[in-house]
Order: sequence, then structure tokens, then C-alpha cells
Amino acid sequence: MPVGIVTGASKGLGRELARSLADDGWSLVIDARGAEALEEARSDLAARAGGAAVVAVQGDVASADHRVALVEAASTLASTLGGLDLLVNNASELGPSPLPALADHPLDELERVYRVNVLAPLALAQLALPLLRARRGRIVNVSSDAAVEAYEGWGGYGSSKAALEQLTAVMAAEERDVRVYAVDPGDMRTAMHQAAFPGEDISDRKPPEAAVPGLRRLIDGDEPSGRYRADDLAPVEATP
Amino acid sequence: MTSATLLCRESPARAPATGPFALPPELAASAPAEARGLRRDEVRMMVARGVLVDAPCRAIEHRRFGELPRVLGPGDLLVVNTSATLPASLDARGPGPAGRESEELRLHVSTALPMADLWSVELRLPAGPASRPYGGGEPGWRLTLAGGAAAELLAPLAGSRRLWVARIELPPGASLAEHLAAHGQPIRYPYVSDAWPIEAYQTVFADEPGSAEMPSAGRAFTADVVARLVARGVEIAPVTLHTGVSSLEAGESPYAEWFRVPFDTARRVNSVRRSGGRVIAVGTTVVRSLESAADRTGDVHPAEGWTSLLVTPQRGVRAVDGLLTGWHEPQSTHLAMLEAVGGAELVQRSYREALEQRYLWHEFGDLHLILPRAAAGGAGELER
Repeated sequence: MPVGIVTGASKGLGRELARSLADDGWSLVIDARGAEALEEARSDLAARAGGAAVVAVQGDVASADHRVALVEAASTLASTLGGLDLLVNNASELGPSPLPALADHPLDELERVYRVNVLAPLALAQLALPLLRARRGRIVNVSSDAAVEAYEGWGGYGSSKAALEQLTAVMAAEERDVRVYAVDPGDMRTAMHQAAFPGEDISDRKPPEAAVPGLRRLIDGDEPSGRYRADDLAPVEATP
Repeated sequence: MTSATLLCRESPARAPATGPFALPPELAASAPAEARGLRRDEVRMMVARGVLVDAPCRAIEHRRFGELPRVLGPGDLLVVNTSATLPASLDARGPGPAGRESEELRLHVSTALPMADLWSVELRLPAGPASRPYGGGEPGWRLTLAGGAAAELLAPLAGSRRLWVARIELPPGASLAEHLAAHGQPIRYPYVSDAWPIEAYQTVFADEPGSAEMPSAGRAFTADVVARLVARGVEIAPVTLHTGVSSLEAGESPYAEWFRVPFDTARRVNSVRRSGGRVIAVGTTVVRSLESAADRTGDVHPAEGWTSLLVTPQRGVRAVDGLLTGWHEPQSTHLAMLEAVGGAELVQRSYREALEQRYLWHEFGDLHLILPRAAAGGAGELER
């Protein structure tokens, strides 16, 4: 029975990806900061068809203790149910809403963005790598087109994702037995995307589940380590 | 749903060992929980514990297995057996007693013997979906097996009345595991009502095929129970012990079985013991593995090999603090192991209560959680 860690799994893309994995019998360790939404996600996932074990650990990926608890739970599941095959670093911090120009970006908030989007994924990878190497597992770091494009207001978040992508690329070069991916899921109708455009209508964006087939191709397929766009992996028409 | 009985006795030390008892045939579970309209984790579980260390009070609770995460807590380590069950029963044709036609038999492949390409096997007579004891067999008998294989009986296995040392000849290129997968069926005893498939004989932990019979204490675990245990802070660690056939007669000693205690499991057992937590074996196979790997101080070391260890009250347990197990036959050697873990009085009371409360016996039956001492942090105290 495959075992995976998905951070930020109580809503949006993380929730949809976790659903798809649970349907296929993956056992999961999930986290989120909000206890109520997390429990709601856990009971939904545990009831799905795959009969998976789902452990929810409430907390913030920026906390070292929380990260240890996540990997310990995954290690316990893995040692008895199979092995750890997957780490999805999906939990992300957008920064202030509305998005400020770099000239005005509060540095303490930028520090928080970097802690969540850069240091936490690396720290989780460091903890999980011994387990992942043993299973020739995979790390999927959820990135953004803001990592490579220069959108006004997206300098804080975008530069953090650029750093995450470079960590991904270098780790991919260093790890022989683990595939390391960065994936741009595309614009989605999520709470985070709404926070980036407060008050605007984002209903033209595709729903988060549209990006899941692309991510699943990285998880189940044979793609080499690298950066991918979910749309290129599994093109999906945006729903009107 | 949960009922509890608190039992206090004057002198538990004088209680005799679990003596002979008669098992009513209707208390043998003939079908898996799933076939009885239950989930695997809905079988019953008796929780038998010492309420206070060194006090003569004992508590017996009747629960469903799915409540295990509420009974245990942080500081508890469950050790599970990840051996998967082989379809270890093969159609066999034997020469039969001298002067008679050859006869239909079943060959049960029990365990690989150390340092030889030989196996211990049991000859049985077919009986519907199951099998029954067979008294025959001679050294030198050649048995024709399904799928172009053959077995030659070399000698009776030392100390056994029904097991043989045999050489198994397979078609070129085939491994025994592959041959069994293609031609074998699960070992079944006469109390089962149907030809339950091999999947009914696998636990959620099954990883490495090698057992002649299911390590059945793990059968009730579901992914959901495992997840709730982990969320509760209960640790779970694996060992592997490939079980042999369980058809021992009263008075027969268990033979050697292959086991492995991984480094990480040994480390976690030792760490839990040092911090005052409880090491709870899921199944008698796990007791045998851990105790075989434990030194005199109770420290467990990584180990791998064959073990002939017999755990009795005289020998005691060094590394194990509790045991989750099924209900065992009267006079089986397992009862001595249970008494080594829980003490004669607690085990004896449990069995009396199990008969009264009509618990179900055998691999598809109900469970018995023996917790002679409370958790260090008070986790899992009796709910009043």
C-alpha cells in the first residue's frame, strides 16, 4: 500500500490531489493549520473508496516540531503498511493581500513567505529523504508561473517559488534514487488565488481538480525530474 | 456497548495454570468477519488488565476491536508481524498403505528448514474445503503434487508425530512461492465452513510471503484503525516471522520458525522500554520474535534466523509488556506464553469469561488484549 505526505490538504489543490490518491488506495499523512477544515478533509478522505489510512496532523509547516510530527506519522504508516513513496509540498503562503509591490513589501511578511514556501519544503524533504530513497520515491514541489514570470505584485511569492524551483533542480541533480519535481499547476479557482485578487471575479479560472491529472502523471508516471506545467502533462479545458 | 467487570481476589498467586477446558464447537469461528456481515475491525476484543501494579485486582472489559485506539495511547508501541500467508496446501497423491490403491492427500508446506533446501511438511486427508489429520506416511514415500511437482518424505521431523522432513521437487525454474501461488490453497481446518480465498488470510501488514498460516492477531487491523492509532500517538513497528502449521497436538513443542527483528524496530522497542512505555506484541509470533532477540536485561537486538524459543511462565518475558492475540486451543503451548505475559490468574479468568461470553475462537475469531500493567502516562486507564 503506497504512503504519501500531502501538506496543505484541507482545501484547494492539496485536497483534490489527496482525494484522487485516497481513491486509489494511497495511505496519506495530511496537514493544515485549521483544525476544523483538516478534520473535515480527513473524514472525507478516510471514507473514500481506496480504503486508505489517513492521518491528519494539525499544524504549520513553518514549525520544526510540526514537520517532525508529520514525518514520524508517515514513518509509522510506512513501516507497517509499505513504505513512503511521496512527499507533496503543497502548503504555500501568498503574503499580504492585496499583493504589495516589492518597494512596499513588509519584510517580516516576506520572511514568513520564505519560511513556508522555501525552507519548509526543504526541511520536509530532508526529513523524508531517507525513507523516500529506500522506495525510489518522489517529491513534488507545487510552484507557480510567478516563479518565472515578472507579474507586478507577485515579487515576494514569485521569488520564493523561484527559490523553491532552484532547490528542486539542485536536489534532483544530487539525489539518484528520488525523483524531484516542481510543478506549475496553472491559475486555479482557490482561496489563495482569490486572496491575490481580492474582490475580483476569478470564476474564469479552472477548478483545482483540473490540475490533478497532471500531478498524478508525475506521481504515477515515468517523467524525469524537472519542472513541469500541469497543463502540458495532461491538458485540460478550463470549465466556463 | 462496553461493559467492564472489576475482579478482586485474595490470593491470585495460588491460581493454577490455565487448565483443560472444553471448547464448544459453535465457538469456533467458521467464517471471516466480512462473511458474517461485519468489518474486520468489528470483531470482539476482550481487554484483560491489571488495574494496579502488584495488586490483586483484575479488570475485564468487552469491546470491539475498532476501539483499540481508545484503549492504547502515547507511550504504547505495537509490534506487528508483516509475514504474508502462502497458499500452503497442495493436492497430493500418495502411495497409500502397502497393498492398497494410491490415495488423495493434502500436503501442507510448513517451514523451510535451516541450512538445507528441505521443508517440514504435514500430510493431511482432504475434507471438503478443509483437511483432517492423517496418520500415515513412511520415509521414502514419493508424493505426486499438482503442477508437475513432487515431494519425497525423508524422515519424521524430530519431536513431531505428524510432520515430516521432505524434499520438494519443482518444475525447472519455478520457486516454491510461485508454485504455491499457482497451485496451492490456504491451509484450512475442519471448523471453517467454506473455501475462503487466500485474501481472507492476509493482514493489512502482509508484506513478505512465507507463512504457512496467517499471523491472525493482525487480521482485525484495517487502514482506518492504523491511522487512528498513529493519530493517537501509538507507535507501530514491524517484525517478520514466517509461521509454520499450527496443527500441533497437545504436548508437542513448537518447532523452529524463521524470524527477523529489524534494526529500527529493536531501537524503538528499547527506547519505549527506557521511557516506561509498553511494548505490545500483536500475536504470539511477535512475542517469539522479540523474546528471541532480547538479551537478559530485556534489550532487544536486531536479529534474523531460526528460533526454537518456547516462552513459558518459568522463562518469563523480558521485552514484551502486553499481547494482542486470538483465542487458543485448550492445552496449546500458546497458553503458557499467554501466562508468561499476563500471569496465570488473568489468563485463566479471561478464558472463563470468554467461554461465558461466547467469544469466537481461531483465526477468524475474536481477540484478547492482555495488558498486565498500566501505561506510564496513565494512557488507556480503565474508563469508569
